[in-house]
Amino acid sequence: MTIPTFIFKNALRNQRRALLSVSSVAASLFLLVTLQVALRELTLPVESSGAELRICARNKVSLTNPLPARQRPIIEKIPGVEGVSPFTWFGGQYQNEGGMTFAQFAMDPKETRRVFTDIKLDEAALAEFVSQKNAAIIGKVSADKYKFKPGDRFKLDSTVYPGSLDFIVAGIFSGTADDRMMFFHQDYLDESIGTPGYVGMWWLKVKSAADMAPVIQAINAAFQNTSAEVRAESERNFQLGFISMLGNIKALIASISTVVVFTLVLVTASTMSMAVRERFRELAILKALGFRRRELFAFILAESFGLAAAGACLGIGAAYILYTYGNISKMTAGIFVSFEVTPRIMGLAALVAALLGIISAVAPSVSVARMSVVNGLKTLD
Amino acid sequence: MALPLTYNLRNVLVRWRATLSTILGIGLVVAVYVLVQSLAAGLEKSAGNTGDPRNLMLVRKGSTAESTSMVSLPQLQIIRYWPQIARDATGAPLISADLIALISQPRVDGRGEANVSVRGISPQGMALRPQVKLLAGRWFMPGQREVAVSRKLARRFAGFQVGDTFRTGGHTLRVVGEFDGGNSAFDSELWMDADEARSLFDRQEYSSLLVRAASPAAARELIARVEADKRLTLLATPEIKYYSDQTVTAMPIRMLGGFLALAMSLGAVFAAMNTMYASVGSRTREIGTLRVLGFRRRSILAGFLVEGALLAAIGGVLGCLLALPLHGVSTGTMSFNSFSETVFEFRITPWLAAKGMIFAVLVGVAGSLLPAIRAARLPVITALKSV
Repeated sequence: MTIPTFIFKNALRNQRRALLSVSSVAASLFLLVTLQVALRELTLPVESSGAELRICARNKVSLTNPLPARQRPIIEKIPGVEGVSPFTWFGGQYQNEGGMTFAQFAMDPKETRRVFTDIKLDEAALAEFVSQKNAAIIGKVSADKYKFKPGDRFKLDSTVYPGSLDFIVAGIFSGTADDRMMFFHQDYLDESIGTPGYVGMWWLKVKSAADMAPVIQAINAAFQNTSAEVRAESERNFQLGFISMLGNIKALIASISTVVVFTLVLVTASTMSMAVRERFRELAILKALGFRRRELFAFILAESFGLAAAGACLGIGAAYILYTYGNISKMTAGIFVSFEVTPRIMGLAALVAALLGIISAVAPSVSVARMSVVNGLKTLD
Repeated sequence: MALPLTYNLRNVLVRWRATLSTILGIGLVVAVYVLVQSLAAGLEKSAGNTGDPRNLMLVRKGSTAESTSMVSLPQLQIIRYWPQIARDATGAPLISADLIALISQPRVDGRGEANVSVRGISPQGMALRPQVKLLAGRWFMPGQREVAVSRKLARRFAGFQVGDTFRTGGHTLRVVGEFDGGNSAFDSELWMDADEARSLFDRQEYSSLLVRAASPAAARELIARVEADKRLTLLATPEIKYYSDQTVTAMPIRMLGGFLALAMSLGAVFAAMNTMYASVGSRTREIGTLRVLGFRRRSILAGFLVEGALLAAIGGVLGCLLALPLHGVSTGTMSFNSFSETVFEFRITPWLAAKGMIFAVLVGVAGSLLPAIRAARLPVITALKSV
């Protein structure tokens, strides 16, 4: 019998316990991965393509305060600006669904290609969108959910503006970070509410990365001491602002993760020491036969490491498969759209498992090292 | 004959070293479960706790939050002197035209900004909301750019202490008082004079009206009259109902709690099973002896189940105790309804603690079922022979 087979047989000789230990490690690591992915989704701004060249400008008081439409020509004249579009939250409810199910924004369709470069839409559909005032384009996720196809007509009741608007679907787009959104004409919205001369925000695109900082500065300066001061920032910083609003939810998830890890260590360590305690006598015999302390430590370590590794493979693997191939937006009722298990998170979970294997081997090894051979031989289980 | 309960209890206690980690494990699972549920309870309580049973809220039909509601001045004038509205000692109708605006303010830890709700209220607004109490400083003066801040909110944002000033929309506001919203939605607000707020935020309209009905019958009349009057595109709702309808945001937290409880309890059941199997394994002889003494198989089965439940119950108590220090601690997040910072407390109610205990006992019973069956099935002779 070689040493690896000896360790392997030892680990599996109480198969039920091995299975239970592996399962509890797997369940905990599954949870750890889930929490870490959720935390990442909450704290990482959504990265859309072209975001590095996009600027979001909102009212300095808060996002919910509107901006005057008369600001647009001033912004357009700033050197380095490629395109400007209004971006107004409509807050429409579809067919008395109760809560908000997808976000709709009023914008300038003519600027689609210049500002919203991440929208993938064929030219014919775009032309249709631009030419028809009540046209709207809808992200693929929402279109699939509500079975929208080009040419369909529907109505949205606004929770922000009085009344409701009728739309016609001009096209289905994809490629944005959140393909649930819907875009329609700012002009159409303005007409329906009597053109009050306000928009929600400005979204603009600059020509090159070097233009970002000067343009942001120029916009902020342009409206200083006016009735509507503006806060312009990169799209990334703007998205980060939302994360800051989430407040203590981050800390909550992070602390739950810590508790999970702690519970995991506790339970596995106790299982390991249980397994070792059961065979004190055997280990004493090994000692009597001339095995050194470090060799005994290696046996225990290898066994606990093996159990932790098996648990890690199961738990992390299950999380990876479920979140990569499962429909996460359906599982979480639309709270999360993507739920990406990154290599970094898998690495973290694997690291926790490895540390777990080591830590849970320490306590039993110390007691084995301390025991005298005679006492060990006397032990009756 | 059933095994005496003391036998089980002593068994749990005598093997405390082996069972300690299981107890702790179950305790932590219960603590997480109770805490997450207490967050949801606190969030719901903060909305459900708001309002006076005699008050009615009037908002624009179709708006889902006060901040997107609009009430015009002419509409206010129509309603103001209706006889269904109660009067104060001076004969003025108890009606407050409020304005809700959101301002973006830096957090106290310097990590980013968040939206804060500013409520502009009319002079009668205070009398209509008796649950709000002034703690320090004074109330704002009408006609002054002064605000009073909820104490819970003041702890979370920079520049919100009494005497501080902060800038918004190019104007400077002075904090003159600190109030306690009595665990209601007002704990997440800044209060100031309604008309000052209208000028500050450049609004023609108010956001909502709050009125005190003269009697319950008058309240019903008022609701019907608002509905019937075509000039008013408003909806009147009892204030308490309005706020309790706003409580939908706790759903994601409840979902998170449910998922965590499920996944963690799975791990805990495996751990409890391990402990109980080991316990059965090391007591094989003892079980044989019990059988010889005349205890039935089902007594042994029940005995181990009780032991598992006891073990878990101790863990459950521990978990509740671990969670308890967080009771009443306030925390905050963005409400997707009002789009602003909502402050609320962890609320560990007796019912929640009881649910935690039930949860723990279920984990214990689930974890000890298979080991208990194994113990009950042990053949007597072999059990006695084992070392």
